[in-house]
Amino acid sequence: MWSKTPEVKPSSESYNQPASAPLVAPAASVPSAPARESAAAPAGGATSKISLGLKINGEFSGNSDLYIDGEVLGKIRLGNARVTIGPNGKVQADIEAREIFVDGTVQGNLKAGERAHFGATSRVTGSVLTPRIGIDDGARLRGKVETVRTSPARESAAPAKEQDSEVLQPVAASVKSE
Amino acid sequence: MNWMAKTRPGAAGAATGAAPIKPGPAVSVGPSANLRISNGLKEFLWLISDVPHGRVLDLGPVWQSTVSFFVEKGYRVSTEDLLRVWKDFLTAEEEGFRATPVGADTQRVSPAVLADKFLETALQYPERSFHGVLAWDLLDYFDPEVAPRLMERLSLLLHPGGAMLALFHSRPTERFHRYRVVDSQTLELITAPTLAVHSHVFQNREILGLFGEFRSSKTFVGRDQVREGLFLK
Repeated sequence: MWSKTPEVKPSSESYNQPASAPLVAPAASVPSAPARESAAAPAGGATSKISLGLKINGEFSGNSDLYIDGEVLGKIRLGNARVTIGPNGKVQADIEAREIFVDGTVQGNLKAGERAHFGATSRVTGSVLTPRIGIDDGARLRGKVETVRTSPARESAAPAKEQDSEVLQPVAASVKSE
Repeated sequence: MNWMAKTRPGAAGAATGAAPIKPGPAVSVGPSANLRISNGLKEFLWLISDVPHGRVLDLGPVWQSTVSFFVEKGYRVSTEDLLRVWKDFLTAEEEGFRATPVGADTQRVSPAVLADKFLETALQYPERSFHGVLAWDLLDYFDPEVAPRLMERLSLLLHPGGAMLALFHSRPTERFHRYRVVDSQTLELITAPTLAVHSHVFQNREILGLFGEFRSSKTFVGRDQVREGLFLK
């Protein structure tokens, strides 16, 4: 249904941290790795792409980076990967990933293990739970922003994950997931 | 939080536990940036400073600098660009009205009814969710019949003892501005495409009426004749 295109690394360049939009990080939780390095190192190597025109309804899980420029309804749990919503992307789902970059439209709660970034064309409705957040001028966010400390062992710490999920309570979002 | 009982840190007999207001993160602004010293913001921060992980509702557009400022102080920030949401709502209503066949039972609804309908989808937070609300100057842009209904809802969202910062223009504004926090006493005014026409110049009496459910208020008048109002629930 959706094609694997390992050569495609959508927007990874454009998401290198712009000087004008520093990432937010509470002093206690600033990871030592620079943002650029982090953005250039996809966890699974390959990036799966949902192109413009595709519409998918379901649940995603795994470790491959995901680029969405189509429409997705459901749930996205890619705990150790990067999820990018392209400018044409429309997502109605809760997203859990290492990094979440948004240039399109998202309705759902976002939980990023390392960071979240909202581009100028992003339209987000829902709460955001992340250690670091970047917001470009022009971004629209309707919801809550909460920063959390990065957990070094977040992949293996299942109880901690559940605890985090409890913290992430929807406020403004109304997500219809199936 | 008790405004009357609250004493400033450093003052004689100051209450302990209140976190001092730190300057906040350095935000780079251009030389031509339109900055405004805001006593209202300073007081607002002071009022919410004794809530360690308080929640702040920003009713303007989301800005990196504003979010950074509050997040780095340990607050949780919610944003809802209320004026844009209102505009989108009105556009949708207008389109619905136009799509109605001629001759159908259509009737233009009053601003107050529109406001009630609007509030069915906007500002959907549990009661007493926030310790501080940044309303900026948006009340100036709402119909005088709509503003009281908004205030009623905002009052419910505010925690007892919570504070709200609102700005009021003394005359109709020529430019439409958005506000973002630069540091603990400075705002940057961003000139933006007009999202709404300045609707009403509130007189002091009207302002006090709007915030009738609040315990106390303080206003600061700037050189630009913008009144900053700080209201404590």
